Amino acid sequence: MTRPLARLDPARSPALAGTAIDRARPLQFRLDGRIITGFAGDTVLSAILAAGIDTVGPRNDGPLALSARFAPAIVPASRGRGAQRPLSMARTPATDGADYATIGVHDSRLRSGRLARLLRPARSLGLSLEAPEGLPVPWRTMPGANGPSADLIVVGGGVAGMAASLAAAKAGLSVILVEASPFLGGHSRLFGTLDGEETPDAAIARMTTAISGSDAITVLHNAEVFAARAGVVRAHVTTLDDGVATASVVDLTAKAIVLACGTVERLPVFAGNRLPGTVGTLEAFALAYHYGVWPGQSAVFATASSAAYRLAMLANDAGIATRRIIDSRPRPQSRFIEFSRAYGITQTTGSIIAAAEPSRSGAGLDIVPQLASGGALPDSTLSADRLVLCGGWQPDLTLWHMAGGASHWAADSARLEPQGEMAGLALAGSAAGWLSRQACVSSGADAVAQLFGHRRVAVTERLLDPIYETPDAPAAIADASSGSAPAFLDAGQRQSRRMRVDQRSWLASLLFRTKPLLATAPEPLAVADVAASVQLGLVPAVSAGIVARERVAMVSLGGDESPLVADEPVAPLVPEFLAGRFGAHPTLWSIASGDGRLFEIGALIQPDADQRDPFAAVGVVVRADRDGAVALVAASHGEAGRQLALIENGRSTPISLVSALEGA
Amino acid sequence: MSQPRVDFAIVGATPLARLLAGLLAGTHGRSVLLQGESHAGYRLPRHLDLSIGAITRPATWALLGDIAPEVRRLVTRIGKRAAVARLDPLLVARSAAGQAALGHVRHMAAAFGHAAEPFRGRGLPDGSSGVLLRDAILLQLTAADAAVDEWLRRQGVERLSESEMLTVHADGSGLARRGDQTIAIGQTILADDAALLAHLPQSQWPDLLVRQAASTVLTGAVPPLPARVLHDLDTGLWVHQQAGGIMVACGPGSTGTTARRLASLLGDTHRFEQAGQSGYTSLVTRDGAPAVGRSAGMGPDVLVGFGPIGGVLAPAIARWLCGAATPAESAWMGSHLVNRCNVEGAASVRDLGVVA
Repeated sequence: MTRPLARLDPARSPALAGTAIDRARPLQFRLDGRIITGFAGDTVLSAILAAGIDTVGPRNDGPLALSARFAPAIVPASRGRGAQRPLSMARTPATDGADYATIGVHDSRLRSGRLARLLRPARSLGLSLEAPEGLPVPWRTMPGANGPSADLIVVGGGVAGMAASLAAAKAGLSVILVEASPFLGGHSRLFGTLDGEETPDAAIARMTTAISGSDAITVLHNAEVFAARAGVVRAHVTTLDDGVATASVVDLTAKAIVLACGTVERLPVFAGNRLPGTVGTLEAFALAYHYGVWPGQSAVFATASSAAYRLAMLANDAGIATRRIIDSRPRPQSRFIEFSRAYGITQTTGSIIAAAEPSRSGAGLDIVPQLASGGALPDSTLSADRLVLCGGWQPDLTLWHMAGGASHWAADSARLEPQGEMAGLALAGSAAGWLSRQACVSSGADAVAQLFGHRRVAVTERLLDPIYETPDAPAAIADASSGSAPAFLDAGQRQSRRMRVDQRSWLASLLFRTKPLLATAPEPLAVADVAASVQLGLVPAVSAGIVARERVAMVSLGGDESPLVADEPVAPLVPEFLAGRFGAHPTLWSIASGDGRLFEIGALIQPDADQRDPFAAVGVVVRADRDGAVALVAASHGEAGRQLALIENGRSTPISLVSALEGA
Repeated sequence: MSQPRVDFAIVGATPLARLLAGLLAGTHGRSVLLQGESHAGYRLPRHLDLSIGAITRPATWALLGDIAPEVRRLVTRIGKRAAVARLDPLLVARSAAGQAALGHVRHMAAAFGHAAEPFRGRGLPDGSSGVLLRDAILLQLTAADAAVDEWLRRQGVERLSESEMLTVHADGSGLARRGDQTIAIGQTILADDAALLAHLPQSQWPDLLVRQAASTVLTGAVPPLPARVLHDLDTGLWVHQQAGGIMVACGPGSTGTTARRLASLLGDTHRFEQAGQSGYTSLVTRDGAPAVGRSAGMGPDVLVGFGPIGGVLAPAIARWLCGAATPAESAWMGSHLVNRCNVEGAASVRDLGVVA
């Protein structure tokens, strides 16, 4: 069955036409044996999503949506099934004729075989997601090759990272700017413009041109930094080599590092929040803006932030039936909200999603809202092809925590915010907690000034008065009893989910008072997992920063060269732990048995064969090899020829003290 | 109105601290104030609670043998069956000194009736030796926090939150502020490393104690280890493989050191991804043996250097603090006083130690 292509009509939606793709240059490639069509400029992921595949695979409690944050790694099929050169779907340019296989927990041949292809649902990649450790991220365990060095590494090519790079170049520093996507600019386009400000497009174009024209700045696109400490970052870098995508893991070194990693979009916590058909606002915008991808014909928006209204209007312009915007804030005010009302988009305030489940009609989702304060909204079930979710923005502190940086829970904004400074490493932009574009830009330049001891740059947050622009609300948390699908804490690679009280049998409750612990959850916790855990009361707010740092998915970058084992070839004859065991002045004796047997170190020596009380022992074997045995013996029993009993494995063996060791 | 008073204030969040508080209050009828919330639900663990260790001293094996059945019954009563596990920890060593120490541990354990046998299975690094200590008890109270809290409540233990003030005086007495109430404390017990580091004045700091960096690493799932609990004598690393194959490794050194030591111990067959890591300061004794008693002979009671065996020894410590100890318990505590370095002629209790 061929699914309809999920591309917007460029004639109808110029704002979401797909700036990166060339519709005049179609291409096709294979994934697990399935032919995927796309356009030049697509990534593997955007082409797959455009082809109508929106599911990674099944869990026992339901399928999970395919997204930029939750997609399996792939490997060129021609190189076998190993993970030697794994690629990221989201960071691999689609190329004509390529042939890829997905990397799941289990061997992907099961997914590319003829029978599997016949049985595989059209919307699904067919990966099993039952394993508790989630999808493998193979490059995380690969060693890093030596990569280039510079004065400054900037992680993240949003407006803050671009500003940091330009400020550093202007100061005469060499810069490596590492950006995970194929583009610079980040997400600021979604957030619009304040009066008197340069538009995001103009600002991004200006800075992109300046960076392109700078000899001091090297830009690595499609490169994800997944580990950092002062002086070094490790990145998985995808490049096109003669039209063939390839990837490597490299360690980049620099005197200083700016982390401008942006934010993670929080996932509202409700049953079914990662079902196929759900998507985050940032990702929905990026897919539509860059690739013209928008699966389905109708959408419901659930948000705690005004940014979602802007996307709803753009989608509406593109012909997507915007069924409703559900806003958790009781009386939100925003210019975007005023505009969306003018569009005739229905808005329900003070409400959140209680649960979503696959539509009984066969396509899309059935969505049940509830009051944000708790309680049902009568007769309010909605159906839509797509549910666009926005739970607000959490600064992405992953690399900051990995490098040893601290953070704390800010109760007023319900998010983890960075705390303190680190030598050789600074945060910038929304990763540092800034909200407005101007503040993000200034903070990029200021981060460079901080790191290199230059004159600091003033950073001023420019926000509209809350009367006119209601601040974001905390990510919505639905009633735990709603819905049957799992409720996840975050939409990322990990699969931490809300534990429900009713998920244990009465028998288990009767036999065990123990409960599963977040502390030993088998996966690292993403920063948004921790934020959700605070909101759910699983982690006290005061401990949130510590937990976030403890549970970050650490990748060691060396720097610790302490010896693994004290490797002394010869052990001391009398270890320190025997001090005082056999009186004040024990002596060392060579010992022998009548049958010439070998003894074992540690065997106790008793005064006679009947004695078994270890407190009564008068000595112990301290050396035993082919050259003979030596025992430490209490002074009271140390005389040549003395007959004693050695206890091994419960048996007594007569021994005699042969001679005292000289100097002992 | 007279000022309220408690016999003991216990500062600490470990199973030892919590069991001790409940036993002092419930079994021995003392009034007890406990400051220390268990972080077990969301923080990484820092040690295991076992009935065995890398122990070479006969008195300690004897004490553990006497108490283990009692503590098993107690913990089962508190947290039901899942709060106690029986398992066969594996002690391993690669260095010559470590392998010699294994022999001492094995023979001393066997002398007290423990099935202690050389490990003949696979899965250890080349050149390593191992000793299996059969049928040890692992206390899993961290997973039963709510049940322990309820037990503490039933025993009459009063609680002081971590944000409320507790002042320890030089003579071991103290004052606590709970809301508007001031509570006089007869004797303070600093029952874990964090409590000592926070409350023991430098003037009373025992010569016996050494601060050391320590860390915990949590990993994703790996294939089964040769034993559910491993202890590397050479590095002090303790490894506990839990349900689902995840590992918790605790040991001296930074998180990077612990991760490297774990990788070296397990080899290529057990490559792992870190799922969490935590660095902290731990306290060890210079002679590797546990320490109890009043710092400087007159200050707060301290409990330190117990490694994995502290939780199991809680009933004996409670009896000793209340003057109800058996002669063997009194002798053991008397020889393990924290000021033993300063007492002339004190018997040496130097031990391999429970390094992490």
